[in-house]
Amino acid sequence: MPALPMTLNTTAETETAKIARGLRERDMELLADLVERCQHRLVRYLLYVTGRREYAEDLAQETWIRVLQRGSQYNGRQRFDPWLFAIARNLAIDYLRKKRKAVQTAALPNDRDAMLLLPSSDPSPFEAAARSEDTMRLAGRLQILPPLYREALLLRFQEDLSLAEMAQVLDAPTTTVTSRIYRGLAALRSAFEEGDSRGR
Amino acid sequence: MEGEKKFRELIDRSFVEEISEGERQLIHEHIRDCDGCKRYLELTGRTIRGLQEFTATSDPDSNARVLEMLAHHAESMRQHKVRFKVWAAFAVAISLSIVGSALVYQVAKLLTVPMRFDTAQVQAGVLVFWLLPSLCAASGLLAARGGKRGIA
Repeated sequence: MPALPMTLNTTAETETAKIARGLRERDMELLADLVERCQHRLVRYLLYVTGRREYAEDLAQETWIRVLQRGSQYNGRQRFDPWLFAIARNLAIDYLRKKRKAVQTAALPNDRDAMLLLPSSDPSPFEAAARSEDTMRLAGRLQILPPLYREALLLRFQEDLSLAEMAQVLDAPTTTVTSRIYRGLAALRSAFEEGDSRGR
Repeated sequence: MEGEKKFRELIDRSFVEEISEGERQLIHEHIRDCDGCKRYLELTGRTIRGLQEFTATSDPDSNARVLEMLAHHAESMRQHKVRFKVWAAFAVAISLSIVGSALVYQVAKLLTVPMRFDTAQVQAGVLVFWLLPSLCAASGLLAARGGKRGIA
């Protein structure tokens, strides 16, 4: 039985190495395949980061351009998805920082605040994505949840990234990452608690 | 209360990180007698399941738009690379023309006595038969159109 994980590991390595080679050579077929596989997840991630659909779509396009331009920087030793999300995140932070400067508010102490201070859109993109009563309840809470917690929850529970991969994307220690997940979970859990007690 | 807090932290950890079988067993034993933690476990599971249900639908044309934009961008990057190569080749060709002409002129000067040429003839010869053709060849790199330009 030990042969199986080894085979899977080799397959995974081959896959990432293939992506790395394709990106170095600017292989359009490979890029088309990556867009097909990752575009909707990228938009979803950016939606969680920015809280606004229109920003998410624009930033997703920018992210792919960056992938095309800097594809040679992907070394193929790690999974492609965290690398892609890290690019998207950096672009989103820059974008939100510029937006915030444009509305002439106070100077930003750090990136974290850049993500926290942008006004939310109406109607909520999370409500649009909700498919059940529970998700509708969560949608309202997600819209007001600080994006730092929102993105941590998405990366862990929807993208299924490991804590180490999340630390790479978020450029933060794993302890910070886990604390963001716990705080995010606590905030969302309270939506159910309140909802259930109101329903009684 | 302190014990309950510890169990709730363990419950959180069980969803986020790997916990041992012993710890998992501990949670199960605890929630048999503690309704608060049982509800906490249930709510946490419900929250995570709710999160996993979110599906951000993207515009069906979105992929096609991204690919079109990427193709356009790749083409302009390719053209930029070609232009760079052409100018680099031109710069190298010009440098070689000048250096080569200087060398040829020096060699030709050595031949002026045995061949009975005067300096003006040597200068004219190098200019007409060496420097001008090589400059024309270098300029030819820039004159060709589009993809056929230079060595790119």
